[in-house]
Order: sequence, then C-alpha cells, then structure tokens
Amino acid sequence: MKKIRIFTLAARNLRRKFIRTLVLLLIVAVVTGTLLSATIFISGMKNALRIGTYRLGADVLVVPEKNESQAKAALLAGEPTSFYMSRDVLKKVQAVEGVGKATAQLFIKPASFTCCANVDAFLVAFDPKMDFTIEPWLQKNLKKPLTDEEIIVGSSIPVVVGDTLPFFGTPFTVVGTMEPTGMKFFDQSVFMTMDAAYQMAENSKTKAMEPISINRDEISAVLVQDQENFNPDRVAIKIEHDVAGVKAIASDEVVSTVRRQLGGLLKGILAISAVLWGLALLMMGFAFYMIVNERQRELGLLRAMGAKKGHVFGLIISEAVAISIVGGIVGMAVGSALLLSFKNLIMHSLKLPYLLPSAVVLIELIAGAVLFAVLTGLLASLLPAVSASRMEPYEAIRKGE
Amino acid sequence: MIEVRELTKTYVLDGQVFKAVDNVSFVIGRGEMASIIGHSGSGKTTLLSLIGGLTKPASGSVLIEGKAIWSMSDDELSGFRNRKMNFIYQFSSLVPTLTALENILLPTAFGDHGENLVDYARELLGVVGLTEKENSYPSHLSGGQQRRIAIARAFINKPDIVLADEPTGDLDEDTENEIIALFNRMNKDAGTTFVIVTHNKEIAALTGHQLKMANGIVSDISRA
Ligand SMILES: Nc1ncnc2c1ncn2[C@@H]1O[C@H](COP(=O)(O)OP(=O)(O)OP(=O)(O)O)[C@@H](O)[C@H]1O
Ligand SMILES: [Mg+2]
Repeated sequence: MKKIRIFTLAARNLRRKFIRTLVLLLIVAVVTGTLLSATIFISGMKNALRIGTYRLGADVLVVPEKNESQAKAALLAGEPTSFYMSRDVLKKVQAVEGVGKATAQLFIKPASFTCCANVDAFLVAFDPKMDFTIEPWLQKNLKKPLTDEEIIVGSSIPVVVGDTLPFFGTPFTVVGTMEPTGMKFFDQSVFMTMDAAYQMAENSKTKAMEPISINRDEISAVLVQDQENFNPDRVAIKIEHDVAGVKAIASDEVVSTVRRQLGGLLKGILAISAVLWGLALLMMGFAFYMIVNERQRELGLLRAMGAKKGHVFGLIISEAVAISIVGGIVGMAVGSALLLSFKNLIMHSLKLPYLLPSAVVLIELIAGAVLFAVLTGLLASLLPAVSASRMEPYEAIRKGE
Repeated sequence: MIEVRELTKTYVLDGQVFKAVDNVSFVIGRGEMASIIGHSGSGKTTLLSLIGGLTKPASGSVLIEGKAIWSMSDDELSGFRNRKMNFIYQFSSLVPTLTALENILLPTAFGDHGENLVDYARELLGVVGLTEKENSYPSHLSGGQQRRIAIARAFINKPDIVLADEPTGDLDEDTENEIIALFNRMNKDAGTTFVIVTHNKEIAALTGHQLKMANGIVSDISRA
C-alpha cells in the first residue's frame, strides 16, 4: 500500500459519486467539444479566406454582366461554370485608369463524365505571358513553363503527377498539384494554358462526345491588379463605367461577402457557446457547493487531523480539475471527431470555403480548449473550495452530523 | 503540559448568550491521565475542542507546553495538531471512501512524518484486534469496529496528547478494558498525555486526575 495523499481522497470521492462525476464530466465535455469545434470551424474558414483570396492574386475580377452570380458562385462555392465574352474587353480594361496588370482567363465546365468520380473539376485556362495568378506558383514550384499538353491540378482532384487526364477528347499530363486552399474554386481547378484550351475546344469537334465551341477571341474573365494607390472598389466602378456589358467584382467584395456570412455565423456560435458555458459554470458551481456541503463533517475531521486550509482547498479544487481535464479531453476528442466527419456536410450546406487550420494552430486550439475546461472547473469550484477551507473545524464537524 | 486559563466559549441561541464553557481554569500535567466526567450538555466536547484548537474561545487561553495555541497562525496550529495531538471523537469519524488501514494512515497525508508508517498502522490495527479488516470500508464495519479503527488512528502520528471524547461509548466491557489498557500502555511507554471524556465512573476512577464538568464549569475533584 502506498502513502495516502490528498489526491487519493479526491479520486475516491469522485469514484464514490460516480454518476455525479459522470454528469459533471459530460457537461464539461459538451462545452469543451462545442467550443473547440466552433473555434476550429471558424478559424478554418478564416484560414481558407486568407489563403484563397491571396491565391486569387487579383484585386478585381471582370466578368460578363449577365454572369455575375455564376462568377461569384464559382469563386465562393467552386461551382463549375462556363461563360464567355469578347477578348476586346481585355484591351478596354487595360486602358482604364488605375488598372495595373490585366490578364484574361477562360473558365470551362467540363462534361460531367470526363474525370474524377465525385469531384466537380473546373477548367481554368490562363495566359502564360501575362498571368500573375498562377504563374508565380508555377515559377516557384514547376520551374519551367507549362506546355500545351500539361496541366496543374488543385488539391481535391484525385490524381498524381504523371497521370493523364482527358478533357473533351484531349489527353493532358498532370505535372503538378497545388496545396489545398480550402476554396473549391482553387482546389477543384485544372489549370492549362489558353492555347491548350482553344486547341482542346477545336479538337473536341472531332474527338469528344459533347464538343464545346470556343473562339480564339472569346475569354471568360479579366483579372486585374490595380496600380498602387488605387482603391479596388473605385477601379471596379471605373471599369464598369468605361467598359460596356461587364461586371467588375472587387476581391474585397468577395471577401466581405464571406466575412458577412461568417460574421453572422460567428455571432450565433459565440452566443450559443457563451450560454452553454454560463450554464455549465452554474451547474458545476452548484454541484461543488453541494459537494462541499455534504462533506462538511469529513472536511472538518481532516482539519482536526492537521489538514491545513490549503489542503482542504486543494482537495476540492483537484476534484474539479480532475473532472475538467478528463471532460475536456473527452469533449475535445469527440468534438474534433464530429467536426471532421461532418465537415463536408457542414461546408456543403453553408457554401463557405474551409481549410483545416495548420497543425500548429490546431494544437494551440486543442491545448486552449483543455486549458479553458480546466479554468472552468477552477472557477466553478473556487468559491466552494474557499468556503470549505474557511470553516472552523469544530463547526464543520458538528454541522455535518 | 496543558494549561487552561479563564477559558470561556459562548453561543448565541435565540438572541441569548449561552456559555457552553464558563471561565474555566485548570492544569493537566505532562504525561498525566486525566478524565472529565459530566452530564450530557455540560460542555465536555466543547472544552476538548477548545483544547485541541478546533474552535476559538470567546476569551481566555489554552497553553500547550507553554505555547498559547491561539497565538499561532492557522497553518501553524494545523501543523501542531498534525504532529503533537490526536482526537478520538464521540461519534463515528471515519472517512467512508477509505479502507480501515487507509483511515488509520490518513493523518499522515497532511504532514511529513518521515518514515513509512504503514507497518505501524498495521500494528495498531492488530492492537485494536482488527487485523483481518485491513481492507474493509467503514460501511462494512460494525459501530464498535469503526470506533476501534478511530482509536487506532489516534496513535498513528505518535502524538504527545490524545483528546478522547467518550472513546469507549459503544464498546462491550471486554473491549473497553482492552482500550483502557492500551491507553495506559501508551501513557507509560510513550508518555502520552490523555484527556478522556467519559460517563463511566469506573474509567474515571482509573485516571490519576479527575475533573468534573457541570453547566460549563469545571471542578478539579482529585489530583493524584
Ligand atoms: N455550535 C453550537 N451552537 C450552539 N450551541 C452549541 C454549539 N455547540 C455546543 N452547543 C451547546 O453547548 C452545550 C455543550 O455542548 P457539548 O457538546 O460540549 O456537550 P457535552 O458535554 O459534550 O454533551 P454530551 O455528553 O451529550 O456529548 C450544549 O448545550 C450544546 O447545545
Ligand atoms: Mg459531547
């Protein structure tokens, strides 16, 4: 038999009142799990937003006026789409005051049977000479120009480098895969050169079951980088004013749309969490008030045996902390498991970009959640523990009788 | 030496000040066996609690080996109790979540008692005749067995002073005699001072120093 310690007493008490311990543990678990999954969720969306808009690399996206909503849906929710306008738009946009760089892209929605089981692939063709959105990545990672037979794919496309993917009857070789961004627009995209896309369209007439027709003077969008000191919103307004029939979407606008949706969600989650936490704190506080009350006599006896105030305080607190740590860990595990398994479902219904935070952030969040649980336990048991330690031993022993 | 000087403890009951211990003074010498007899409600438990520093007096002082216990800080007093004193309570006082042996060892959790006292705890368990109940929980022990465990616990910290409140209240005569023999042995071998509250005049008669308590007032009947 080992030496008796304060913790022995705490552990025995928790075991003795097993049901109560379990209930308190579950309360802590639910609160921790909810808070943790809420924060992981929110930080994941922020993460996606940050990386996604950075990846877009453009201040303004110019699309045909009638396709504004399609373009936004493509950007935000990654819904594949095809729309075209005249290449003249590029020249006109380049002439607008405040426009620094401008480059054309083609968006092509592939025929559904072309590739990749359940992933909605989305073809994006860019102009290697003028592009500033994909090119920097290519230069850094591929270190050679993309040929017209090659493609780069987003992280969600289930292929590896060296695979061959046919689009509209033309085979392409995968030469690179991009790291995940959380935005479907990027993660499900297949990038090829403009020339390759036009060639593919031409070939489709003879090679594909569902041919597409795109003229060499058709483009889907113009991506604009503003000159320094120009406000993207202003430039967008100017483009719409100067160029007929287009809609200029400032990337800020895209971000702020998401932010707004996120903001509402955030407030809701925050309110629920706060209420939940308050309730948990109250319930735990009440439970510990009762625990101290019903154990008055025992605590008084301990004091009479020479337990210092600190010992009694520590006994109560360590019971609360033990519950909190175990509850926190359970909540953390269950919460993250649920979040991960229902991530896609949640994302799908919310139509928001999502990217799991990095491992470091994740570990921070998890550690934070467990710490938070422990703090909750401490807070809930603090007053009862103080009042327990302050009782006069003789009074405590008598009252408990 | 326990020195009680003009000790008074009051309770306020229904707006009336009631003196449970009323201006009591006496001295119990080191290594003495003292008994306090008195009717129910005369203030015996209150007096023992005052001596043990479990409750604060309204006025007066308790000096143990010349040290006024209420001049110590709470932590000092706790440490003092943990090293120098022990109690046997009138009522059941075991912790329900601990086994018999663990209950005996419990006081050692609150201070540094150096050596491993598990063997000593087993020895005490044997002295009170409950060796085979080492791993039993209080709920599986009879009232008398619980009492004997509590008595064994009173010696685990090798105290200088044992304050015993009707220690043999629910024991049969044979066991009672064994316990009194144990007290006498501890008193002789280790020089432990005993203050024993009892209704039993026979037990009182066995002690060298007898005090009588009535309505909060103590009178020294004998000094051997
Ligand atoms: N905390 C308290 N509040 C109010 N009155 C108290 C309190 N403690 C003790 N008393 C009163 O003080 C008196 C003495 O009580 P005490 O327990 O010391 O008696 P006792 O001599 O030990 O009696 P018994 O032999 O029945 O154990 C009693 O009248 C009791 O009601
Ligand atoms: Mg009494």
